Amino acid sequence: MACSSSTRPTKVQELFVYEFNERDRGSPAFLKLSQKSVNSLGDLVPFSNKLYSGDLQKRLGITAGMCILIENKPEKKGDRYEATFSFYFGDYGHISVQGPYLTYEDTCLAVTGGSGIFEGVYGQVKLHQIVFPFKLFYTFYLKGIEDLPQELLGKPVEPNPAVEPSPAAKACEPQATVTNFTN
Amino acid sequence: MACSSSALKTISPPIKLANPRSHPTSSLLTNNTLLSFKLSNTSLTQTLKFQSISPQTPSFSLPKRSFTCKSQANPSDSTRPTNVQELHVYEINERDRGSPAYLRLSQKSVNSLGDLVPFSNKLYTGDLEKRLGITAGICILIENKPEKKGDRYEAVYSFYFGDYGHISVQGAYLTYEEDTYLSVTGGSGIFEGVYGQVKLHQIVFPFKIFYTFYLKGIKDLPKDLLCKPVEPTPYVEPTPAAKACEPHATIPNFTN
Repeated sequence: MACSSSTRPTKVQELFVYEFNERDRGSPAFLKLSQKSVNSLGDLVPFSNKLYSGDLQKRLGITAGMCILIENKPEKKGDRYEATFSFYFGDYGHISVQGPYLTYEDTCLAVTGGSGIFEGVYGQVKLHQIVFPFKLFYTFYLKGIEDLPQELLGKPVEPNPAVEPSPAAKACEPQATVTNFTN
Repeated sequence: MACSSSALKTISPPIKLANPRSHPTSSLLTNNTLLSFKLSNTSLTQTLKFQSISPQTPSFSLPKRSFTCKSQANPSDSTRPTNVQELHVYEINERDRGSPAYLRLSQKSVNSLGDLVPFSNKLYTGDLEKRLGITAGICILIENKPEKKGDRYEAVYSFYFGDYGHISVQGAYLTYEEDTYLSVTGGSGIFEGVYGQVKLHQIVFPFKIFYTFYLKGIKDLPKDLLCKPVEPTPYVEPTPAAKACEPHATIPNFTN
């Protein structure tokens, strides 16, 4: 795990993943702590969803973290959140991110770090909503790490509202998951 | 850093002792219904009595630094150190900081998504001879794992090292697993520009934790942080001098 190379890799590697809320993890938990009738600063939204490879052939793990509601934007018919969460890739490790989540448009979050094969990672990730808040597509632009394993680099399925994980991935059949996929 | 009182009632006993199920039920926000998250955005089309509090864009510009950051000169990327430095610390909950504050916001009888656990504990050097400071942050409960008799949390917190600065981390905290790895997201002071990961090793849940940081991107750590660590066992305790914060047994302006 310790990088013995003398320079930190600076080339960019793209990594695509899909996040699905299959409604079986009790997520999200919308904590209306503002006690106001509209979404307001004070509301907190812990969440955890399932993570699949960009080609939708493998179950990778989960996302886990929290969205902090910042502001409701009535003219955009949506909200601004500040999101702090991680992506878990089973035995490969995890990637932590932080940044804006706007329910009404794509955003870029900061990659703050990682563990395992992602140890030392930096860069950013583009969040693309497909079906709010159930299907999201992420494009990571990762620097500072060794080459990613082939298993994570399948050709991504183009995001569209009808995307679904393959039945094998959804059922977590052994050949359709990464090793010790996070659950 | 002290737990200030708020509208939320906090319970300060430890998260759990022997049995994960034997936690007190508290009723927070009894007057309020927690709305379940709706699929459609209809809840957003209600008329708002929403006062915009954002001021007009100010015409002033912020000074370059509003406070002094003790930091080294910024090394350029080409000279950013890549050697790994190991740093060992002990985090000990001495039950005198009102920590943790288990906010049972899910309002369910078992630990569930929605529960939040802010916390702050004391930090000592790996040889347990010096008080360094504190940890401070929050654990977000993600899932109870009954088959493992424990829980998965997402933890976001910092380690404070007095005048030396701080290190921020983010990652999984699994109460049922001995070791997890969190990412080092950044730092200040001598830790400015730090990256890497940290291994969290549970000794006595949730009172004693031993950390091994694998830090990159910073200059050589000062001697008084580098020590031969005491092997983690359930009986480890800080030296009486460190616990009493005697001057020779702390780092300068240790965080408290």
